[in-house]
Amino acid sequence: MTSVPNGPWYTPLPACEATVPCGQGRHVVRWEAGELRLPSHSDPEAELVLAALGGEKARCVEIAQTWRRHLADLTVLAIGPRSAADPVEVSWDDVDAAAQASQGGWGVPRHGAMKLASPPTAAIARAVSRRMQYQQEAGQASQRRLDMLSLLALGTGFQVRLSGHVIAAHAGRLDEPDEHGHSIVPALKAALAGRLAPVAEQWLGIDPDQVEVSLHRDGGWGSVGLTGRGEQRRLRVSLPVWWLARVWACGLALTGRHLVVGVERAGWPDAQVLALRAPGTEPVSLSAHASAGPPGTPDAPHWEI
Amino acid sequence: MDREGAETYLRLLAEAAMRGSLMPAAEPGPPGTSRMMVVAHALTTVGALDPLVAEEILDDFRLAVSVRLLRSDPVQSPGQPVTAAQWISQGRAVPHRRPPAPRPPQDEPPEDDAVQSRPDRFVPVGLTVPFRAGVVSGELCLMSFAQTSSGARFIAAWEVSTPELESRLGRQHPGLIPFDLFTVTDDRGGRYQLDHTPGGDLEWPNEISLRPPPAEGIRWLDVAPPYRQPVRVDLRPPGGYGGAGSPPVRGVTGGSSPGGDAVQVSDIKLSPGEHLLVMLAERLLSWTPGFPHGGRPAGPPIGPWRAMAAGFGDIIAALEAADVLSPLSPVPARLATLCASLDLNGHGIAVPPTHDLPEPWLSLLAHYQRRKPDPAQMRDGYAALAASLPELDGIRLTLLGLQHTRGSSALHVLAQGQTPEPRPGPLDIDLSFPLSLWLRDSGGRWHAGRPDRCHRAGLESAIRLRLMPPLTRPADRVEVLAGGRSAEVRARLPLHWRYPS
Repeated sequence: MTSVPNGPWYTPLPACEATVPCGQGRHVVRWEAGELRLPSHSDPEAELVLAALGGEKARCVEIAQTWRRHLADLTVLAIGPRSAADPVEVSWDDVDAAAQASQGGWGVPRHGAMKLASPPTAAIARAVSRRMQYQQEAGQASQRRLDMLSLLALGTGFQVRLSGHVIAAHAGRLDEPDEHGHSIVPALKAALAGRLAPVAEQWLGIDPDQVEVSLHRDGGWGSVGLTGRGEQRRLRVSLPVWWLARVWACGLALTGRHLVVGVERAGWPDAQVLALRAPGTEPVSLSAHASAGPPGTPDAPHWEI
Repeated sequence: MDREGAETYLRLLAEAAMRGSLMPAAEPGPPGTSRMMVVAHALTTVGALDPLVAEEILDDFRLAVSVRLLRSDPVQSPGQPVTAAQWISQGRAVPHRRPPAPRPPQDEPPEDDAVQSRPDRFVPVGLTVPFRAGVVSGELCLMSFAQTSSGARFIAAWEVSTPELESRLGRQHPGLIPFDLFTVTDDRGGRYQLDHTPGGDLEWPNEISLRPPPAEGIRWLDVAPPYRQPVRVDLRPPGGYGGAGSPPVRGVTGGSSPGGDAVQVSDIKLSPGEHLLVMLAERLLSWTPGFPHGGRPAGPPIGPWRAMAAGFGDIIAALEAADVLSPLSPVPARLATLCASLDLNGHGIAVPPTHDLPEPWLSLLAHYQRRKPDPAQMRDGYAALAASLPELDGIRLTLLGLQHTRGSSALHVLAQGQTPEPRPGPLDIDLSFPLSLWLRDSGGRWHAGRPDRCHRAGLESAIRLRLMPPLTRPADRVEVLAGGRSAEVRARLPLHWRYPS
């Protein structure tokens, strides 16, 4: 049993595995303790060097690279699953079909290099430059979508864990803009709202549209309160963004009919959590015990008080 | 302005749509896309949301919805199933948050410093030049002359008649207009060419360029049709330079503004959100069809207008979230009244309607609700104008002619100044003309000016405003109401109508 107070966010998460078509067979890709591992490839770095020299790159190795590329990509939160009732099922056949389609072009005719009878004028040069830039950008967008599809094809367990990694990459830097100077808070707030609303619905039977979420940025766990009646009913929830990684991604959000608002002592399969029985009450410390997820979702832990 | 609030609102709307909370509409693409696009367009139009961020959110939303449709049951799913190949090829083909694209190329104004520094000249003309060239005959009706840093031009109407082609091409098709057969000379012997405005709209032959631009001191131009006596166009402003008709705006000659109490400027203070809602309301008002079909209503707005109206509640909430619209603003209630009056249901505006509508809106609503066509049709004609209005929101507006042709009325204006970046989108907002413009005829009826054609050159936009409803009688005096965010101008203008033979 692992039991680490204030350990990494993924401490209450068990390892998970997926099989990936790789070469002539299917290989296991494994996530464990925050790391993606490739048991069938003893030296992925060496394989990368060989691939750079013209050899074929193994799909497992490609996936590990893709995983690393998107560990802080907020788009993962926009596309990934919001709840257990929101499965995102992508097969490797889908990935192959998408890869084939993306090689077919992006609506930009792919001609060979243009032969010029005379030196290009500035206007032609600009047009060629714009075209090349567009093709380059289109290629990057294509690769990005293919990346996303490959990551989703790893299955729910990996999708949720990747979301946790993305949250962890940003949670401590809410006031820092992204590389383009934009605030990351709206994306994180929407991610929190989109994942908390279905939990609240399950917890209280409230319409998810009546859940109002804000990011708690001060000390403490936050607040949860219920106001109004009928159509004016509102569940106002303020939680730190870490909740998404430490609680939601670890499958702890709704445990034993309690809304878990924090993890006091992280661990697998036992953890100590801070949980609310009802809105407006003070959270209580509870011991939670995990078992393997229900059939069909073995990577999703099931916690009980 | 709360940019973070604006982005958060759009992202939360995407989350609601992902849950299927937004009503599935009969629309292409994932359910909720139309409403999201409408809100995104509203937020980018008021400058509360970076268009690239909006595009990124919409793109992620589409990908998120459609990836869930890879395995969907077509019976149970609100959207159409998609294949992986379709998924990978949808959305925009550019990576996220690339640097902003340069502004689309426009016709550049002349770069000659002398030309740039020359004061603008606006002169009302009001002359008809009959012509005949082979089987083509007609009249060139000169409404005004305008010379600015982007060139010289006449604002004109044409009546072209040719038995063979008239029925096929229409009476004003620019292909029928023999520009090259006209000769234009000035009082110093200089010669000029008339031409369709380069970069202009072929369906809009009202702006005729004059090349080269006349020198500053030129007093008149003789416009001569083929084999006929020229018609002299006096380029001196009414009252002479610096005289009674001299302009109120520095750097302008001619283009007199109605003096005395004929112009009233009132300060108003619309927030960016209110301004957008007013523009939307006036688009709706000026789009709504009349009732020309035997007194029967031509039908409620359809298609994108209904979709736009369905997004009003979301737009208002988004503008409030972006802190560009006060919850106490009276404009949303006015919009609700407008929707109710036009039978636009499902607008989602939370506040109740109000009876407090602007007078021009009431006038136009009364016209629509009259539910019968106007009994008389006004004769085709035009009125010369060259009136510069005081600057509104950094835009100087000069009225350059009023025209009525075959049941349709148009006001020609030139807008000079820095206008916002164009933001194409579902709201059909023309940011090259971010002002309201209304015209009240001598019978007291208001007519909305809806941008119909626009030719942009540098910091100038020549715009044809279609009047809704069209004029029904040749008013000898009109009142023009131009409104921006910070002020509105009322100008009373005398009109002298002229009629082609």
